[in-house]
Amino acid sequence: MKILRSQLRQELTVMARNGEQLLLLVAIPVMLLIFFSQTDFLPTITGDKIDFLMPGILSLAVMSTAMVSLGIATGFERSYGVLKRLGTTPLGTRRLVLAKVCAICLIEIAQLVLLIIVGQLLGWNPNQINIAQVLVILLIGTSCFAGIGLTLAGRLRAEINLAAQNGLYLVLFLLGGILVSNDELPKTLGNVAQVLPSSLLSSLLRESFNNNTIVVTDAIALGGWALAMCGLAATTFKWSD
Amino acid sequence: MFCELRNVRVMNISSQSRQVAISVRDLIVDYKQLRAVNNISFDAKAGEVTVVIGPNGAGKTSTMEVCSGVRAATSGKVSVLGLDPKKDRSKINQQIGVMLQDGGVYPSARVFEIAQHYCNLYDNRATANELLDAVDLTRQKKTSWRKLSGGEKQRLSLALALAAKPRIAFLDEPTSGVDIFGRDLIRRIVRQLASDGCAVIMATHELDEAQRVADHVLMFHNGSLVANAPLTELLNSAGEHKTLEDIFRSLANNSPVSNSRESQ
Repeated sequence: MKILRSQLRQELTVMARNGEQLLLLVAIPVMLLIFFSQTDFLPTITGDKIDFLMPGILSLAVMSTAMVSLGIATGFERSYGVLKRLGTTPLGTRRLVLAKVCAICLIEIAQLVLLIIVGQLLGWNPNQINIAQVLVILLIGTSCFAGIGLTLAGRLRAEINLAAQNGLYLVLFLLGGILVSNDELPKTLGNVAQVLPSSLLSSLLRESFNNNTIVVTDAIALGGWALAMCGLAATTFKWSD
Repeated sequence: MFCELRNVRVMNISSQSRQVAISVRDLIVDYKQLRAVNNISFDAKAGEVTVVIGPNGAGKTSTMEVCSGVRAATSGKVSVLGLDPKKDRSKINQQIGVMLQDGGVYPSARVFEIAQHYCNLYDNRATANELLDAVDLTRQKKTSWRKLSGGEKQRLSLALALAAKPRIAFLDEPTSGVDIFGRDLIRRIVRQLASDGCAVIMATHELDEAQRVADHVLMFHNGSLVANAPLTELLNSAGEHKTLEDIFRSLANNSPVSNSRESQ
C-alpha cells in the first residue's frame, strides 16, 4: 500500500507542476462554460443554455483528464525512460496502472465538483441528479478515454503523441455534442459524430440529468469503445521506445 | 597473446570462493535483422565489480537489460540470484538497483522527492537523506531534475540505484559526463558496494575508468565477448605498461566476428 501511495503522490505532484495541464484540466472547461452560457454565440438551443452546456462540458473535462493529460504524461514518461526504470523496481505494472487510474479519478472528482459549483452559480438546475447513474456513465467514459490516450502514448514518439492527443481532443470536442448539438451538423458529419465516444458520453449525461434515464444503445456503444480501447492499449503498449 | 585471453577463466582463491550472482549462458539478443548480442556466456560474482566494456553499440546495454529483466533474451539462459529475470521479476526487483544510461526520472521531479519515492518502493531500503548524502546532493534537495548539471544527474541516478541496498547493482555508463571529482566519488561508491558484498555490473566505454575500478572485465566487440577475465590476469598477460585500451584494440582487431552482425 505504501508503494501505491508513493506512486500516486508522485503522479499527482508531477501533474500539478505542469501549468499547461492545469490549463487543460481546469481553465478551459470553466472558461467555455462561463463564456458560452453568458453569450449568444451558440446555435439555437431549446431550453436553458446552461442545461445543454453542462453535460457536454463535464464530458470535455473527463476527456481532458483521462485521454489528453494521462496520454501526454505517459508518452513523455516512456520517452524519458521513467517507465523503463520503474519497471526495474518492485512497483510492478499493476500498481503503476492503479496509481494512474487513482490519480485521474481524483482529478476528475475535483474537476466535477468545481464545474458543478460554477454551473450552479450560472443557474444550472438539473431535473434530477442520480449520482449512481452519473458515476457509472463517467466511469465508462473515463475507461474509454484512458484507453485511447494510452493506446497513442504506448506506440507513438512523445512529440507525435503530443500532437495526436491534442488533434484528437479538438476533433472529439467539436464533434462531441459539447457546444453544438449533433443535429446542427451536416447530416453525414452528424451521423459520424453521434457514434464518437465524446458524443456518446455527452448524450448519456444529458439524458441522465434531464430525464433520469440511460439510453441503453448509447451506453452499450460507449462500453464497446471502452472495452476495445482498453484492450488495444493493453495489447499494444510498449514500455520503452 | 591477446587472443589467448578470450577463454581465460583464471581466478585467485578469494575470487573463487565468492558466490555467482549472475550466470549467463549462450545469450543471444536480436533486434529484427541485427544481432546485438551473439552467443555470450559469463558469470558475475558477489563482492566484485564486473566491468562491461566496449565501444558504442557493442552489446553492453542489451546484455545488462536482459540481466536486469528490462528486455527478453532471444535465446540462452540467464540466472540472477538463482532466479529467472523475466519470470521472477518481482522477487529480483527487490534486490537489484538499476542505473539506466539515460536518467529515467521525471524532469520536473525534485531531488529529495524522487529519492524519497524510490526509497518507498523497497522493503529493505536506504533513506533519502542517506542516499543524497552518499552522492553529495544534499544541498540540491529542492532542485528539479531538469535544473541539475549532467554530473549531478548521474549522481542522483546512481543514488536511486542504491535505494534498495541492492545485492546486484547494474550501472550503465555511471561516469559519463561527470567531472573528475564526481568520478572519484562514483568510483568510491562502486568500490564500497563491492566491499559490502554487492555484485556490481558496470558498463562503460571509458577504458581508463574501467581499469581503475574493475575486478573482472568483460570486453564486448560487435556483440561478442572478446575477453572474459579478471583485470589483473588480463593486464599481466598483456605485458608491462599495457593498458585495457591496448588490450581492447588488439583483441578487437583480431576478433573473428568483427564483420558478422546479421542475425541468423
